[in-house]
Amino acid sequence: MDISSKKHLFPFSTLFLGLYSLILSLSPALRARSWDVDYLYAHWLGFFTWLFLNWLAEKHLDAKIPDRDPYLFPLASLFSGWGLLTIWRLLPNFGLRQSLWLALSVTVMLLGLRWRKIFITLRRYKYILLSSGLLLTALTLIFGANPLDIEPRLWFNFGGIYLQPSELLKLLLVIYLSAYLADRVPIRNKFFPLIFPTLFLGGIALLLLVVQRDLGTASILVMLYASILYIATGRKRVLLGNAIILLAIGFFGYHFSQTIHTRLAIWLSPWDDPSGFGYQIIQSLMAIANGGLWGRGAGIGSPLFVPVAHSDFIFTAIAEETGLAGTLGLLTLFGIFLSRSMIIALRAPNRFQRILASGLTAYLGIQSLLIIGGNLRLLPLTGVTLPFISYGGSSLLTSYLALLLLLKISNESEGSTPPPFLWSTRPYHLLTAILLIGLITSALLNGWWAVVRGPDLLTRSDNPRRAQADFYVPRGNILDRNNAEINITTGESGNYLREYLYPELSSVVGYTNSVYGQAGIESSLDGYLRGLDGNPATLVWWNNLLYGQPPNGLNLRLSLDIGLQEDVDERLSKHKGAVVLVNAESGEILVMASHPTFDANEFDDSLLNEEDSPLLNRATQGRYPLHQTLDTLFDAPPVQIRLPFAESEEGFVSPLEMAMVAAALSNEGISPAPRLALAVDTSQSGWVILPALGETASLFSAADAEQLIATFSSDEEAYWQILSTQEDEENLTWLLAGTPANWSGTPLALAILLEENNPVLAEEIAQALLSSAP
Amino acid sequence: MSAPFLLILRIGMTLSLYIFMGWAFLLLWRNFKTQSELLTSRKTPPITITYSGLDKKQKTKHFRTPEITLGRDPHSEIHLENETVSAHHARLSYHHGQWWLEDLNSKNGTTLNGEKLKTPTIILGNDEIRCGKMPLTIYLSTTDLSANTQAL
Repeated sequence: MDISSKKHLFPFSTLFLGLYSLILSLSPALRARSWDVDYLYAHWLGFFTWLFLNWLAEKHLDAKIPDRDPYLFPLASLFSGWGLLTIWRLLPNFGLRQSLWLALSVTVMLLGLRWRKIFITLRRYKYILLSSGLLLTALTLIFGANPLDIEPRLWFNFGGIYLQPSELLKLLLVIYLSAYLADRVPIRNKFFPLIFPTLFLGGIALLLLVVQRDLGTASILVMLYASILYIATGRKRVLLGNAIILLAIGFFGYHFSQTIHTRLAIWLSPWDDPSGFGYQIIQSLMAIANGGLWGRGAGIGSPLFVPVAHSDFIFTAIAEETGLAGTLGLLTLFGIFLSRSMIIALRAPNRFQRILASGLTAYLGIQSLLIIGGNLRLLPLTGVTLPFISYGGSSLLTSYLALLLLLKISNESEGSTPPPFLWSTRPYHLLTAILLIGLITSALLNGWWAVVRGPDLLTRSDNPRRAQADFYVPRGNILDRNNAEINITTGESGNYLREYLYPELSSVVGYTNSVYGQAGIESSLDGYLRGLDGNPATLVWWNNLLYGQPPNGLNLRLSLDIGLQEDVDERLSKHKGAVVLVNAESGEILVMASHPTFDANEFDDSLLNEEDSPLLNRATQGRYPLHQTLDTLFDAPPVQIRLPFAESEEGFVSPLEMAMVAAALSNEGISPAPRLALAVDTSQSGWVILPALGETASLFSAADAEQLIATFSSDEEAYWQILSTQEDEENLTWLLAGTPANWSGTPLALAILLEENNPVLAEEIAQALLSSAP
Repeated sequence: MSAPFLLILRIGMTLSLYIFMGWAFLLLWRNFKTQSELLTSRKTPPITITYSGLDKKQKTKHFRTPEITLGRDPHSEIHLENETVSAHHARLSYHHGQWWLEDLNSKNGTTLNGEKLKTPTIILGNDEIRCGKMPLTIYLSTTDLSANTQAL
């Protein structure tokens, strides 16, 4: 076979990983959007370790097994290099450890090449091998440890170096089954006597793993057992039986085992509990969505928001940083790897090596699919590693041992002996087809989460990337009608902070907080403030491609008048209530006060539970009953109009709604649509007027309105005023006021609500606001 | 700004991954082509085997398949009805441009021109094979064979 061909593959994998490392080095500059940063260098140690090991392995492989399959090693080497750099990117400490494990694994593989009679020995000592694997796994029941010091304890701790014997157990089971079946199947005796010993030993292994709560490895074991048995005997019943057994385990586990029930429930409905059980998988899907089509680039995404990204969720981390483009490449290369190893199986020089090679293919394929499918919510999550890529010494070593066996088998198949007669190629075709269909389904689902569902997933409020972007992208400022600053962004990239210069407005204008979320204008007009709305679509797209973040936010102008607002807030400061002053003609809200209020600069948990509900915007969210006097006022002759909301809301109204009624009285019966946000400062066309919140409504006829306010006008003041207090358990004070019909200046209207019986204060506020009206 | 520069690097990185992939596919395609060309050029030369059949009469069979099994099993291509012959006794197969004879761990062994067969061995025209006590004679079409050998 053409050995020279494989040499052409290494320059490209070297280039790929070299560029990965370079991007990772420069990534801090992109994050901070400045060249003056601390660049990352440590991972180059990993890159050069990989490069050296690659060179060393190539040299030895050429010398020892020149007739090997030319694709297998370059592919495995790309996987392990990609995994290694991803681990360096995620957790540099683990990257260093993984580099050492890679060096050890490659060394073991190269030493294994010298062992000429490896297959004869493996075949002869199959029982000893499997028994020692079982014994080691059993010993973890007594001496087991866990690097994180939690359950399950599947590892041995040798002075800080952790080994997981169940990884090796899978490989030993494959060897044992291939050796046993290669010896027995040609005799073709009855099926159950044939498989009885394997069933017994496989059962022990399964039992051990179930007792150890290593369900991922246990399910791999069941599937591996069925695959090898099917390959060796060609009986389809085996696959059918396997499927039935797995479904039965799933069904009974769902009803009787808490662990399995939880796993399956998370898989079936993660959205029910996005911050609890479903957290990990939903974070994983969001990371994939954030990767999108092209990925964020090495070191530029935020894959660490997903727990255990370096091990169980490394596929997610790769998807976020290299995008669908990268994972499609990865899945395709996995497909090539698996097809090549199946071809090795078909060409193998004897029956043992043929079953062994197909068993190893099944082992690598099934395990990859289980964890990739788990990351994509294609399958329930099982905590297994992604071969060659995930962090974990035992896993990497086992993967390289499997690679060693496959390479040696492929080398021997080029010898003089013909491949043994094959009864039927169907088992091989079917197994390969199942694995490849699994990879294709994963690719399609990956595309679904990354592209189709991506935008929806990213706007979820539990996407931590939104809050993170706020530290790097300046959020738009919120200004009053005279451009006085209310909420502004201070600091510099990486440390942007929201400052609330007028804290009394916190319950009205709202807040944006990485822990507590958003409220008020900050929430309802988040699109403009975040720069996603109001900017040209190409700019949003370009910024997303470059930084994975929205462009700079846009400034908003509100209709509030800070001068008037300050006056009201001062008068209301020790009381509970709300005041709304509107321009009766345009609907612009000049003052909106709600007390008690809070300071959004000093947000903490205690606010959430305070009795006075300071977070509530009483002016818009508070629902108060109308008094009899006020309610019947509109019902009495000569007017006889009921308020539009009096019936539907069962007499409960907000101060804002009453302010709009007052506006209608001062504006010839027409209630204008209220406006709080006036305009947004776009980069292209300057200040653009924002639409009003509701619609203009005609509540009364002009004559009725005039007659009604005439009843309530006084001789001392220029404005009309309706005051209503009631001494009952509610103890509320309502006050509506406004400019008269023939007013020459700006028509104003006002609603005041106090949660106490205090007509004096209400009148004071009305006088302060209206007597000075222009 | 760092971002456009890094964007170029990111595009380069993704491209190099796909070049790696494309190159792998190209090699696979080339490999597939040479394999199939090898197979079409490697026709099995016809082989003729003379042996005594069930009714003790001499029988002659011609084969063009690359694998022929000999044994007492009725499914064998050459069915030898004799108690000294095992069910799966021996196999003739054509590969690497030659016909090979291989003993399948038979009870009474196979001989080639009087010598006990231990490893798969190349056979030539007019060789005499003995499975247990059953003799067989082989004729090969020599012209086809030499042509193929040269082609390889």
